[in-house]
Amino acid sequence: MSRKLLHHGFRAFTALCALLACSILGWLIFAIARRGWPAISWQFFTEQIRLVGASGGIFYNLIGTGILLLTAFITSSPMALSLALLHGVYLREGRWKRALETLLYVINGMPSIVCGIFGLIVFVQFLGWGKSWLSGGFLLGIIMLPTVTVALMERIASLPVRYVEAATGLGLRQSQIIWSIILPQSLSGLVTGSLLGLARAAGEIAPIMFTATIFAGATIPHGVKESPVLSLPYHIFILAQDSFDPSVGAKVWGTALVMIGLVFVLSLIALPARLKMHEEAHHD
Amino acid sequence: MTDPILQVSHLTIEAGSRTLLRDISLVIAPHEVFTIIGASGSGKSTLLKSLNRLVDLTSSLKVSGQVSFRGSPIYAPGVDADALRARIGILFQQPVVFPGSIAQNVIFGVKHLGQTRKQDWPEIAERALREASLWDEVKDRLQQPAILLSVGQQQRLCLARALATQPEVILMDEPTSALDPKSTEAIEDLIVRLKVKHTLVLVTHNLRQAQRLADTLAFVGGRDGAGQVLAIGNPDDVLSNRDQPELAAFLVTD
Amino acid sequence: MQRRFSFTRLFSYSFSALAAGTVVAMFVLLILQSLPVWQHEGLSFLTGTKWFYRQQQFGAAPMILGTMITAFTALLLAAPLGIGAAIFTSEFLHPRLRLTVKVVIELLAGVPSVIYGLLGVLFLRNWIYDLLTPFDPLSGDTLLTGAVLLAVMILPTVMTLADDALRGVPVIQRHAARGLGLNSSEVALHIALPQSVRGLLAALLLALGRALGEAIAVFLVVGRQDNQWPYRLLSMQPLIQSGQTITTKLASSETNIAYGYPLHWAAICGLALVLMVMVAGITLISASFSRRHVP
Repeated sequence: MSRKLLHHGFRAFTALCALLACSILGWLIFAIARRGWPAISWQFFTEQIRLVGASGGIFYNLIGTGILLLTAFITSSPMALSLALLHGVYLREGRWKRALETLLYVINGMPSIVCGIFGLIVFVQFLGWGKSWLSGGFLLGIIMLPTVTVALMERIASLPVRYVEAATGLGLRQSQIIWSIILPQSLSGLVTGSLLGLARAAGEIAPIMFTATIFAGATIPHGVKESPVLSLPYHIFILAQDSFDPSVGAKVWGTALVMIGLVFVLSLIALPARLKMHEEAHHD
Repeated sequence: MTDPILQVSHLTIEAGSRTLLRDISLVIAPHEVFTIIGASGSGKSTLLKSLNRLVDLTSSLKVSGQVSFRGSPIYAPGVDADALRARIGILFQQPVVFPGSIAQNVIFGVKHLGQTRKQDWPEIAERALREASLWDEVKDRLQQPAILLSVGQQQRLCLARALATQPEVILMDEPTSALDPKSTEAIEDLIVRLKVKHTLVLVTHNLRQAQRLADTLAFVGGRDGAGQVLAIGNPDDVLSNRDQPELAAFLVTD
Repeated sequence: MQRRFSFTRLFSYSFSALAAGTVVAMFVLLILQSLPVWQHEGLSFLTGTKWFYRQQQFGAAPMILGTMITAFTALLLAAPLGIGAAIFTSEFLHPRLRLTVKVVIELLAGVPSVIYGLLGVLFLRNWIYDLLTPFDPLSGDTLLTGAVLLAVMILPTVMTLADDALRGVPVIQRHAARGLGLNSSEVALHIALPQSVRGLLAALLLALGRALGEAIAVFLVVGRQDNQWPYRLLSMQPLIQSGQTITTKLASSETNIAYGYPLHWAAICGLALVLMVMVAGITLISASFSRRHVP
């Protein structure tokens, strides 16, 4: 009966792995929530930082992250739509289509700090913008581009061929088909992909630390040049480096909780659409 | 009459709120070809897979009633379903070959069930391949990837793989539906030969096949939204039965 | 046939070109801007162990080593745990529960790295310090701390991608093996695992790429000590002392100082280039594994 023994042993081992993995990750959320919760109050969201993070709230950090994410969304959308259209409509199977996929793989794997260095060279120095929300938004847009594009590509690939055939039968030109059928039908892919991409971009620091964000002293930007913003993750990053002041500590945990909350909300809104897509993919 | 090898009593299978099979009772004698016909979607595949508890793998299915194998209930608590499946082999509609060589495929079961010695494997493989009438076609290329075989050969390879573990019963779920006429004939000839040593339960929608092979024929039809055995017995009797509207409709359309 | 002018087409091609151009520009810019350091140091930029920018000495070997050590140790820790857990979710867990676990794991995969860094600063480095007491460490900021933190960070990625790879093995293959009398563990070991090897490798490589390129979390716990070239390479020593990785160097304030000093700046860009080539290479190998090759 050694087969039986092996079976139970193996199953127990994998169960233990799963349990360990889940409890590490569960502890992580619990640790943040428990310490962060006391810091959360209405004022925490509506006041600005005072006393180097020891007092006040994170109002302008929220605004700053919001501005960065909105900019990232606006920059990534046209690029993602274009790449997805190229992939699904314009390019035939072959070298260029593979090159496009490779491009997405490379961007997806790109270390975000390299994006930051690139931004420092191009935006801060060449263009002379100094720190600016616009460069940060653009870089975050590049970071989230693969996520958005892949979601759109999957959506376009799943469109029933008969739609396009019916439209071609009506004598519509390719661009008319794109605007009247493909784009409206794949809008959900853009939304889902963007939410997931934004969830990823929201917590990124490396691309924006040299190019767009500062710790304190910025409010709402009025131009492009020398117009940095505050942001949530950078706030945590700076405070984490010297969080020995207990009052600062409470604020860091609070900010971390808000940060996680933001990321989870973005991913959870995208969840139903993703599960639906998942089911379709596994429904042969 | 000899003792039945498989006995199904009041078997009901539900998937959520839907009843797939209702109150099925059957008796399968050793060394017969027990054949089940029915329209697609009538639940005959599910019935077949309930005989070796392969339905357990689909978590949404709920089984009530009982199936007995050689007199002992297989849905009783404490029954080792894996050991049961080693004694009741199964062949699917599409051949399912594993990655690897022909030889690796044939001995896959015996190797992992661990009741044989390694030096016996080549002999077991040859015996199984001969029983499946595949030996002459593959004996010179046992180390080649199994996926290179034709679909008909692949199906016989799967049969050989099941035979290698020397099961008492072989379940066949429309084993020829993916095959060309020649391969179909090869499998049908095999079924006739195999019943000398084994018991076969065959699901088919091919009436000619059922007529040719069946010792006992059961018709599963959908009535009141669930599959039920509407006619059973001698093949000629069942196929000339005009009392059941579902069977009449099936015989006309098929 | 003459193709009609199409605004949509023009739009698609130009914005795609913008995306592709940005990536190409990154490579080109980093190559061009790092030229002075290659001229100055030659290959000893990669092999030199001394980095003193005031003395114009730029040897990146300790940072390359630090990057490798943290990333591979992280993978070594996360791979067995993640794949083991994925086998449990894909082979043994009830499908409905599996979906729930998967949603939770994917949520966790999205937790920002700075959060991990924060927890690393406040907990992990103390634990590592206590753990290393027998070795008399200088602090809890070690490459090991960075590696453990990275392992936790890539764990959800490994789990969810490995689960996908395992689920990619056709159900009928499992049923055929179960039909022969194999139990679910044997099916996992002899059917699911061997048939998903490519997918699992792709998952691990992708996770390795993540670990190599991660900057922020490691930055907070690794100590950022320059010029830590170990006396003995094949020992625990490099792991339990503080060090520097490429990413932590790039994220440090030295990057801000360096611009304006061509050689120093070239050295920074050289580091970024080395990192980018490493990660891009791994990503491309991973991609070639996960793409389906129809035989």
